[in-house]
Amino acid sequence: MLSNLGNILLFLNVILSFSIIYVANRNLKISGGVDKNIFQLSLIQSTSIIICFFVLIAAFIVSDFSLITVYQNSHSLKPLFYKIAGTWGNHEGSLLLWAIILSIFSFLFLVYNKNHPKKFRLLTLIIQNILILGFLFFILFNSNPFSKISPIPSEGLGLNPILQDPALAIHPPLLYVGFVGASIYFSAAIASLITNYSEKSFSLSIKNWVLISWCFQTLGILVGSIWAYYELGWGGFWFWDPVENASLLPWFAMTALFHSLIVFEKRNLFYFWVIILCLITFTLSVTGTFLVRSGILNSVHTFASDPTRGIYILIFLSLMIFGSIFLLFKKYKKENYDLNRNSKETFILVNNWFMMFYLITVLLGTIYPIFTDALTDNKISVGPPFYNAIIFPVVVVFLLFMALGPKAKWIKNKFENIRTYILILTGAIGLNLAIIFFIKSFSLLSNFIIISALFLIISSLMDIAKALKKNKLDFARIISHTSFGFLVLFIGLNDIFTLEKDYNIKLGETKKFENYSIQLQNLDLKNYKNYQAVIGKLEIKNINSNQTNILNPEIRIYDKPKTLTYEAAIKTSLIKDYYLTMSNIDRSDYYNIKFQKKPLMAWIWISVIMIVVGGSIRLFGNAKNN
Amino acid sequence: MKLNLLLLLFIFFSKFSFAAEKTVDPNLIHKNLRCLVCQGQSISDSNSDFAQTIKLVVKDLIDEGKTENEIYEFMSDKYGDWIVFKPQFNTQNSLLWILPYIVLIFGGFFIYSFLKKRQ
Repeated sequence: MLSNLGNILLFLNVILSFSIIYVANRNLKISGGVDKNIFQLSLIQSTSIIICFFVLIAAFIVSDFSLITVYQNSHSLKPLFYKIAGTWGNHEGSLLLWAIILSIFSFLFLVYNKNHPKKFRLLTLIIQNILILGFLFFILFNSNPFSKISPIPSEGLGLNPILQDPALAIHPPLLYVGFVGASIYFSAAIASLITNYSEKSFSLSIKNWVLISWCFQTLGILVGSIWAYYELGWGGFWFWDPVENASLLPWFAMTALFHSLIVFEKRNLFYFWVIILCLITFTLSVTGTFLVRSGILNSVHTFASDPTRGIYILIFLSLMIFGSIFLLFKKYKKENYDLNRNSKETFILVNNWFMMFYLITVLLGTIYPIFTDALTDNKISVGPPFYNAIIFPVVVVFLLFMALGPKAKWIKNKFENIRTYILILTGAIGLNLAIIFFIKSFSLLSNFIIISALFLIISSLMDIAKALKKNKLDFARIISHTSFGFLVLFIGLNDIFTLEKDYNIKLGETKKFENYSIQLQNLDLKNYKNYQAVIGKLEIKNINSNQTNILNPEIRIYDKPKTLTYEAAIKTSLIKDYYLTMSNIDRSDYYNIKFQKKPLMAWIWISVIMIVVGGSIRLFGNAKNN
Repeated sequence: MKLNLLLLLFIFFSKFSFAAEKTVDPNLIHKNLRCLVCQGQSISDSNSDFAQTIKLVVKDLIDEGKTENEIYEFMSDKYGDWIVFKPQFNTQNSLLWILPYIVLIFGGFFIYSFLKKRQ
């Protein structure tokens, strides 16, 4: 029953998209305002796709195993929360979520851009609906979440246990709002090219959408990292895994885009560059999807891979890319810039320059193994050491520019007091020396990173002091930039300070290292609703301060599907996290325990949240001004 | 152009600081080796039998006095390049290592071309 209802709603959406395209196209040719029917059709479209998604959620809640998707990804004994989260924890359901975001953004863009030319608005709507149709056809003919299975199985296969986690349950929707949200400025950019709508006001139509998608993308990356930290049990939060990279690529493009948009809005420069970035962002989102869903890449996220999907997405992607490139070449007019070396415009270009460098490095690292595999049959791995070696030295310079850039004025900047910068730099170096003194370890690169991060932080804080005097404070920028400085600083410190020890230990045994002792005091076997757990009780004692902490790592044995997972025990405090994992060793009564002391973890998360806070302040500020 | 010079200096020094570390850290090596039977995990993160074996092999190699790079080479020879997370710098991978910097330098020239020739 639910299957039929879902399919009917999907077909209804196809019809609605075609009708919107038809009516909008007819409306283009006549004068007057935008046809009222279009608003209604668009609203019905959004509503019906949401209902369609609720139908799927309902199928998950009542465990309707006549649907293949539910059968493959759920189980009647699963907690309700994960039954619901299971809806988008799989390929088919997540595509439906994509379709929702595409439709809602399409509707809201239409509603909130009344001041822009009718032609531009209608064309954006038409392009967006072509994208929606592309996804709907993909859903209907290849990845239909409402496909039936017969005979109806009595029980489902269950959701992969490592996906049963609150952070994982919310991070895909956040990321999807981010990179599917990018579709709306992709459509707007195409519409702008076609209708020659290249005035400054074009930037107003898209800038809030860029900010919204950027905020969600950042949050999505954050929550995904937190999930990796809690759930994957290796104590890190970023592994330069292909799927992580896929979420980072559009982020670089978005970041470059909203910086360039500032120049476009103020000085009417960089129109084509802004357009290119709009096109790149969504293209990269789809590329990421292609890489992940086609199963071409080996990664921790292999929840959804199937070659036939890959081919469909590849065709879709190629059409997008060739269409965009064709249109760009047709409409491209040479723009002449005559920028002053020391001006805000130039500094923003520098931001874009670095963003493109990061983007290309990460893209290259992600897809290079595919090429070597195909061309030479030699499969290589491109992992953290590559990215660290290429990216981090450049971050040092980037942070310095990030500190200086915002101080520059439009058009022409007077050289500011060099002495202030020297003072800030001296302060940063001094603080860094203090850090070296306390940890007694030294690596030139990490110290350069710390110095440049401190430079950015101090100079942003001085900006606040100066701006407060003049009563002209750009909170959004200062918060985001300062937090970014803190983020790099905390990541750097965390990396240097981390203490990691690995032991094989028996019940009752104690191990000592540095000024810590660690004892396996007890092992407990417990039964839960959908798994069994061996829970260890370990005491970590700081010998100097005589503080003790009890940590309880678990080894979980899940029934459906049968899997063994290792749950880390984490003790978070403002200064440091204790991170402990335990695993059994076959054919022995020893347990392997891995203990890590990770300083300032909480502050890494807080910094990212503050970066998003900065973005949101800008967003609300824009909304108020409109 | 000062910037690129500075950059080269940084790269040079970062390499230098790696070379300065004489002692071989098994944890670092474990992190840079892929667990071949797992999904996207390193030897250090994995609890599999394979990972345990590799850890023992690494320990033996360190005891034999092998350097970090020699251990990676040993692993590549035995299990293929797929096992090492840091791709070697050879003809096949040269584009991977060099292209990012070419982009960076090219981008610098590109921006330079937009600037006024005289202040």
